Amino acid sequence: MTFKLSRRTVLAALVAAGLAAGSLAPQARAADDIVLGGSIPLTGVFAFAGEGIHAGIQDWVKMVNEQGGIDGRMLRYVPEDTAYKVDASVAAFNKITGQNAVNLYYADSTAFSKTINPELERNGKILMAGASFATELNDPEKFPLQFIAGPDYTEMFGILLEYVSKEKPGAKVAFVHSDTEFGRDPIASSTERAKTLGLEVVETIVTPPGSVDVSTEVLKLRRARPDYTIFHGYVLAPIPEFINQAKQMGMETKFMGTFWSMDNGIVMKMGEAADGFMGVMPYRYYYDDSEKAPMLEKIRQMRPEYQSTAYLQGMLTAMLMTEAVKRTLADGKELTGPNLKASLNSLKDFDTGGIIGVPVSIPGNSIPVGRIYQADMKQQKMVPVSDWIRLDKAGG
Amino acid sequence: MRIGAAKQTYAADEALFDTTVQRAWLIGLFALLAVFPFMAGPYWVYMACLVAINIASATGLNILTGYTGLVSLGQAAFMGVGAYTVAWLEVNVGTPLPLNLILGGVVAGLAGMVVGVPSLRVKGLYLAIATIAASVILHFVFSHWTAVTGGVSGLTMPPGSLFGLTLDEPHELYWVIVPVTVLMVFGAANLFRTRIGRAFIAIRDRDISAEVLGIRLLRFKLLSFALSSFYAGVAGGLWVYFFRVVTPESFPLVMSIFFLAAIIVGGMGSILGAILGAAFMTMVPEALKLVVGWMSPWVPDAVALLSPVRTIVFGGLIVLFLIFEPQGLAEVWRRVRRFFHLWPFKT
Repeated sequence: MTFKLSRRTVLAALVAAGLAAGSLAPQARAADDIVLGGSIPLTGVFAFAGEGIHAGIQDWVKMVNEQGGIDGRMLRYVPEDTAYKVDASVAAFNKITGQNAVNLYYADSTAFSKTINPELERNGKILMAGASFATELNDPEKFPLQFIAGPDYTEMFGILLEYVSKEKPGAKVAFVHSDTEFGRDPIASSTERAKTLGLEVVETIVTPPGSVDVSTEVLKLRRARPDYTIFHGYVLAPIPEFINQAKQMGMETKFMGTFWSMDNGIVMKMGEAADGFMGVMPYRYYYDDSEKAPMLEKIRQMRPEYQSTAYLQGMLTAMLMTEAVKRTLADGKELTGPNLKASLNSLKDFDTGGIIGVPVSIPGNSIPVGRIYQADMKQQKMVPVSDWIRLDKAGG
Repeated sequence: MRIGAAKQTYAADEALFDTTVQRAWLIGLFALLAVFPFMAGPYWVYMACLVAINIASATGLNILTGYTGLVSLGQAAFMGVGAYTVAWLEVNVGTPLPLNLILGGVVAGLAGMVVGVPSLRVKGLYLAIATIAASVILHFVFSHWTAVTGGVSGLTMPPGSLFGLTLDEPHELYWVIVPVTVLMVFGAANLFRTRIGRAFIAIRDRDISAEVLGIRLLRFKLLSFALSSFYAGVAGGLWVYFFRVVTPESFPLVMSIFFLAAIIVGGMGSILGAILGAAFMTMVPEALKLVVGWMSPWVPDAVALLSPVRTIVFGGLIVLFLIFEPQGLAEVWRRVRRFFHLWPFKT
């Protein structure tokens, strides 16, 4: 008897094997696990950060579980790739919350954080934070179950402007931002803030994100002659082009950036001309061993190669979420969104193991703390040039 | 084996579904759609709504590109017009949901008519570029007409309501989204049995000949743009009821490419093609995610390792479809049907 293997048979066998594999998959989960779901951008335009965030959360979960979990309950991380698309992020949220009793959730974008907010409030069992530092999210009334593991974009500008006003009172400042929600976020409020600090905003330039030809904009900048130029709403392009052209024209303005353009790997890609590029960073860099930072030491032991600032953001977010769970359980309360948020808000002078250089409190939805770092191309490192700057409420 | 379908009246001959078997399948499909939200979990209901919204928009694009032969890369921007109109009406006027959807479609249709004006002079790639330019202008309006669109932050709206019921969850919105989509698909299917639809097809096949036959190109090309954009506008309205936030970044150019890819993969100039194409383009990435999920117990950190592979596989699948089945999924479906019609004989 001969057995003929047709294409259809092979296809059917593959489908059957897939289904069997799915049903036979070992399910390493317990009913009382603390579940941290995540819409993580592992592909798409934001993948450079998503990979770091994913690794940071993973490492934190591993550390917690190696120490016996939270109050004996294991922390389980359930990520799903979203390609940085809102519909895929919401699909991931529905899928993960449909299959698990989720307590904590990592969001990949401002748009997703805004979109899912009504569902989050309706669900009432989840505390959420994520990759967005949008000023809009820093409103405990509108977003009662969310928080930002760092300063929001307006606060980042606030920290930069505070530094500038101390270094050069009455300085002239220019803002260069992308024509996106992300880019426009802090501009209007920061223009006001600059005025109150006695600084003069001499130019505000808008460009498409990732634009290449910026010669007209650089000429505009030259005419304005700012002492400081702050970029926002970009990751890399067109910052290097701006800096190169400005230096060629002999401009002496100091260039600055905000969180997503401040990773060591990204700044070093800007090349020699970016020597002296400054910016605000709420976390210590991976290699920073100037002060005692047990968490950074642990990270360096686990991963000997450089880890991005996105990694630290992911880890710190998971750490703060875990602390909220710990405190809620310690108080004998149920793990609901409002209880978790209240526990998070009870953090006062919390030690992040040195990821943030000073003890932090989260009275609202953000941690308005940061430090100014500057690129040192010889060392190929970002080095601190200020102490930690904490914004008071008026400064935020 | 089906031997024949004898028709004894002209009405039977003209029917959209001309055999009992077809009608039985259709009833089966409706029954399945009716019980689906009660059987499926929130994730699957969410995906069903998303697929339905994409089907509505892809069907609209199919009217324009598949049936009239006018390539457009502005479908997402027209969805945006519909979404903003609906959100604005919901926030500022409080008009009822059905009226909002219709008005969203009408405003998008009017925008589409304006964008369609160059179609009398330019065709093919040139028209595609003209529609891209139009979508850039519309995006500029979305982000800069702050008084109406809310600027870069966009508009956040309360949940829609119908007959006093608040629709804030996918399984509630399912009862609006799916029926509206079914209605729109039936509308499109019937359109091509009318003089207007046949005029579209004549324009696609040879516009000069169509004009010689007495079809006024300006009127019908603009009508095709208006209808296609109306579909996009209603789909955008459904989208904003579903997500409740609309920003200038909600409807990027890549989304227009998504719809164009959907009708090409599904089969241009075929109602079934737009349905299958939209379902394919929406569901395959999710299905590949499920495969990645199944592999996670054996592949450490499968989500991170296999996600880029998943993207490549999705792209590869589209390319393979274009090579091996240029007439799209609708043709595959027709072949499957033929197989059963002729069974036990081979096609």
